[in-house]
Amino acid sequence: MSELRRDPIGGRWVIVDTGHPSTPEEFKHEQQSYKGGVCPFCYGNESMTPPEIDSIREPGTNPNTSGWQVRVVPNKFPALKIEGDLDRTGIGIYDMSNGIGAHEVLIESPYHQKDIPDLLNHELENVISMYCRRALDLIKDKRFKYILVFKNFGAAAGASLEHPHTQMIALPMVPKNVMEEIKGAHDYFEYRERCVFCDIIRQEMQEKERVILENKHFLSFCPFVSRFPFETWIIPKNHHGYFYHMIPEEVPALASILKDTITKLKAVFPNLSYNFIIHSSPVNGSENIEYYHWHIEFMPKLTRVAGFEWGSGFYIVPTPPELAAKYLREIK
Amino acid sequence: MPELRKDPIIGRWVIIATDRAKRPDQFSSQAQEVPAQKSCHFCEGSESQTPPEIYAVRPRRTAPNTPGWELRVVPSIAPFLKVEGELDRIGKGLYDVMSGIGAHEVIIETNQHIDNIADLGEEQISRVFTCYIDRMTDLERDLRLKYALIFKNHGWIAGGGHTKHSRSQLIATPVNPKRVKEELIGARHYYDYHERCVFCDLVKQEMQSKDRLILDIDGFRAIAPFAARFPFEVWIMPKKHSCDFTRLEMNQRLDLAKIMKQLLLKLKKGLNDPPYNYVLHTAPFRRQKVGYWKSIDDDYHWHIEIMPRLTRVAGFEWGTGFYICPLPPEDAAKFLREVEI
Repeated sequence: MSELRRDPIGGRWVIVDTGHPSTPEEFKHEQQSYKGGVCPFCYGNESMTPPEIDSIREPGTNPNTSGWQVRVVPNKFPALKIEGDLDRTGIGIYDMSNGIGAHEVLIESPYHQKDIPDLLNHELENVISMYCRRALDLIKDKRFKYILVFKNFGAAAGASLEHPHTQMIALPMVPKNVMEEIKGAHDYFEYRERCVFCDIIRQEMQEKERVILENKHFLSFCPFVSRFPFETWIIPKNHHGYFYHMIPEEVPALASILKDTITKLKAVFPNLSYNFIIHSSPVNGSENIEYYHWHIEFMPKLTRVAGFEWGSGFYIVPTPPELAAKYLREIK
Repeated sequence: MPELRKDPIIGRWVIIATDRAKRPDQFSSQAQEVPAQKSCHFCEGSESQTPPEIYAVRPRRTAPNTPGWELRVVPSIAPFLKVEGELDRIGKGLYDVMSGIGAHEVIIETNQHIDNIADLGEEQISRVFTCYIDRMTDLERDLRLKYALIFKNHGWIAGGGHTKHSRSQLIATPVNPKRVKEELIGARHYYDYHERCVFCDLVKQEMQSKDRLILDIDGFRAIAPFAARFPFEVWIMPKKHSCDFTRLEMNQRLDLAKIMKQLLLKLKKGLNDPPYNYVLHTAPFRRQKVGYWKSIDDDYHWHIEIMPRLTRVAGFEWGTGFYICPLPPEDAAKFLREVEI
């Protein structure tokens, strides 16, 4: 069991792995390259993962056998665990909670070498549908206040397994960055009675210089206030707080813009490592957030985050987003 | 001119480099440990290879930009912010922009080609702290600037450069950085209710259990914080309450050098010279609006945060501001206590 601890000063929560703590020796000279050997996410190796939670598979095939196209399994080394009651305590000035939550891995396809740009559109649509399906299932557990969907691709971006996969973490509290974003969106809405994200979309579509791609339902652009070079957001034009309430027509539109945007990024940076995160409203108790607008934040891992960023929360962006968007637009 | 841009949602400022904008082919996605360069422009005798010095310790009163120095400060050769120009704030639609006014200086901590500050003598390390104080005090006179952040990037993974010559950096900004602001607000909030400094309370509690205490030397303590973000994260805190690092007295600077050296040597020996960052968190410049933060002398407590870079920060951390720390700070503290130096 891990622990959640709260920093009494900034209010940040951290997860401390007290259950299976890494030993200090494990940190010495960590070289992050992928070991060869058998991949637990490939066809035929289904028994190497914990039993599957959900899958999209060919009719007639059994769970935990081959024949699937998307497969969701519990994380073998979860940051948080689902069993138990949520227990918050204080130790002197410190606050903590036990590490309740869910940590799932969504294997995007049986193909070890195929990342999002290499999948067929309908395959990617299945991945997106599965994001929604899992989120809709997880929110039934009232202990969870936030569902985080994120992907680490490439060793430099923190992916410990090479086979492309997305992770989902259900948290018993709303994380700090999300709270800040929601508070900011709320303050903007209070004064103007408009959604700040809708206003951003409007301004970006007018100015066009940061836009990469656009289709009927989505816009992909490099945000005016990027934290990283070539940071890209994919945002639905339709105002909605929750990604898992996507309307059916939005699924293929998202698959297509996601695929095309990442294809462009990979054309510019052939060995790209990246992270993306779906930002969505908190669940179970904070419903009806009319001022929040879900979106995907995509962060290529190109720079090293150094002391200045850690110390200040200030980011230094060596490529202006206007220039980044121009490079990406020019890729056919 | 670089630009400062403010995130309209959460209020984070970022610096956008416009002059030295990087092209895509200038990023090396796979770059790892990089071979050291042969010639070092930070060594004694190479003074002409840096921009002219701003500050130096020259015991033999040698001329500026010549050999004979023990410590030297030069402007960054590739500054993110510049001192010249007007501070200009504008709105672009719903976005806020500010001109990139500020200072970016490099503190060359020794005239010898030594990579890690841990390997310098205590006297020399205390000279480095004196230099921090002198530079911050000088920059405080520039009314456009609100904060000076001192930090160090040791090792390539931690953002260090190709040249393995021990140095720290100072970036002075025209706005208070978000992380610092959050900490100040958190500390003030705690003080409003308890009328005590949260950092002093924290140290008191740590001294009771001692689980997370690593070193306790003279006027300073090294503690693995309860909510550590990274394995082996360590905070160095002065025992005597003070919000302002620049008021540190001469003898305390030597004490601070002693604990920093021991702690960094423990990291080096115990973890095989890991990459690390450290940052100094101290009160912002306060000369402009005297009294605007009336309890800051009582509620804030300067400290140094040391962050070894042994894990990679991945999507989860970026998305949430939530960190997964794979090593409990109690274990890290125990390990570091036991490392013999």
